[in-house]
Amino acid sequence: MRALERMLFTRVVATPAAIDRAVWPTGALVLRIAQDEVLAAGTVDLGAVPDQHAIVEPETAFCGAWVDHKSGIQFLEHACDWELPAERPAFAQGAVAGIPVKVWFEAERILFLVPVPFVIDFAERWS
Amino acid sequence: MNEFVERLVDLRWPDHVRPSYDVVIIGGGGHGLATAYYLATRHGITNVAVIEKGYIGSGNSGRNTTIIRANYGIPEAVRFYQHSLEMYGQLEQETGRDLMHATKGLLWIAHSEAGVRQERARAEINTAFGSRTEYVDVKTISEICPQLDMTGQGVWPIYGASYHPAGASARHDRVVWAYAEGAMRLGVHVHQRTTVTGFLRDGDRVTGVQTTAGPIGGGLVVSAVGGHVTTLASMVGLRLPIRTHQLQAFVTNRYAQAFGPIVASSGLGVYVSQTAKGEMLVGAEVDRAPAYAYDSGHSFLRSCAFRSIALLPFLRDLRVLRQWTGVCDMSTDYSPVMGFTGVPNLLVTTGWGTWGFKAIPAGGEQMAALIATGRTPPLIAPFALERFANDRTMADRGSAGTH
Amino acid sequence: MTVRRLRIQCPHCGVRAIEEFLHGEIPTIPERVVDPDARDLDRAFMHTNAEGLVTERWFHAMGCRRWLTLTRDTRTNDIPERTTSYPPS
Repeated sequence: MRALERMLFTRVVATPAAIDRAVWPTGALVLRIAQDEVLAAGTVDLGAVPDQHAIVEPETAFCGAWVDHKSGIQFLEHACDWELPAERPAFAQGAVAGIPVKVWFEAERILFLVPVPFVIDFAERWS
Repeated sequence: MNEFVERLVDLRWPDHVRPSYDVVIIGGGGHGLATAYYLATRHGITNVAVIEKGYIGSGNSGRNTTIIRANYGIPEAVRFYQHSLEMYGQLEQETGRDLMHATKGLLWIAHSEAGVRQERARAEINTAFGSRTEYVDVKTISEICPQLDMTGQGVWPIYGASYHPAGASARHDRVVWAYAEGAMRLGVHVHQRTTVTGFLRDGDRVTGVQTTAGPIGGGLVVSAVGGHVTTLASMVGLRLPIRTHQLQAFVTNRYAQAFGPIVASSGLGVYVSQTAKGEMLVGAEVDRAPAYAYDSGHSFLRSCAFRSIALLPFLRDLRVLRQWTGVCDMSTDYSPVMGFTGVPNLLVTTGWGTWGFKAIPAGGEQMAALIATGRTPPLIAPFALERFANDRTMADRGSAGTH
Repeated sequence: MTVRRLRIQCPHCGVRAIEEFLHGEIPTIPERVVDPDARDLDRAFMHTNAEGLVTERWFHAMGCRRWLTLTRDTRTNDIPERTTSYPPS
């Protein structure tokens, strides 16, 4: 796979309802990592989240790599013991080759997001 | 020791259940049977029943990894386990049975500066309180155990170790049988396949047990149960500082070479030794979520194999022969709980966690002394249940949840 | 031979192996323990250690990083799937 590169996200923690109603930048990658938390690619304006207690902070702790759909699925099928999502686009997270990984599935390609401390291990286990 | 082998174990099973006994011991494992044995042999108390829900040794006494050591981290524990270790050394002579007792030496490996400090402290405390442990450098370690990968696969390098020359093992079933045989020969009743379902009470006092074979009166009732002691205690409203966790282990097929010592690592959470048959025996830490199940997991096998191979690469070429699970009573401070409970006439010996086998002789002897005299012997006084209320807990890093 | 895998249904992430989670306890002190000192002692050191169904917390460390509440049978490690709830009740 291509080298994992540092990606800039914004971490948003807010009430689930506020996250449902938030206005995200057009076309931005927005990963719902918990009911009350998202990782959004790039920067997010605090005013876009209708929750006065929302936490909106830059998040630099992930490295990511896009791979073509076929080789991504090939890897996941032997590195995961959980069911992969069927629809596209889709988000999933869990242990991949024993590492906590977040995965974004698009029709043509797949994004792997790996916490920085696991990047070297993940690259080794990919091969 | 071959002169012992030929004689079959002579277990004299009782043909009836008496309405009452002076002492009723719940649990026919090592601790229960040793307590009965020492009551009979040391104190002449033979009107004793041991009540076992399965067959003797069918619980943790038959599932442990049979390691005998005294290299604990606090003075009270070093004294107690050293006494037990010395009793094990005499036990074949005393019982006339070949217990396959073998002194192997035990290496406890440090993979970090913190680990080195811990092993140095262990050596000092052991030496100061009557056991023998020395700190050894990497050169000595590879002389004692040449199979060790001193680089730890490049991830867990070996910095040093404490070496406990008296570390030993024995055959667990034979220990159980030897105590049962000795106790029954002197008239102790051992009732197998009898389950305790409740207690007989007279006010606060416990006056016996309700069993699947009917009520059995007891002057004193002692719980030597492994795994289910909190369930038993809850029948009399007694709260205990005990959680029950699964502990898994596995053996490989035969390793053709002799593997002398017992090797342990707190950092990796594994310990490895060789059985008399030549199999490599590998154990790990308890599973984190409390459970009473005996199921064995694939994820344990994978992670434990991975970690033990980091220490001993030759294990890579062996195959797993058997895997099994025991349930361990882990006390809140990782030390045993022995003696009075606050419920009149009810005693416990529990909290044996992952270190019960090595404590069988001393645990049984001391509990028997307590029962016979009504006073707690000094050796086990620090392990009384009341220590939790008195702010005298016995937190022991030397036990630390492995073997 | 089938290998039994223990799994937890995370309400956000889906069904995952139990190794992705960390165990957390919900301490229970019996109501009959009324003396405040005795309750403190119980909270600090004593355990119900129930043999049967227990309600407990698990943290999905490798997924959503949230606590969930579920019921597990300590005799078998069975987790009836429908008992998981999120956020914790």
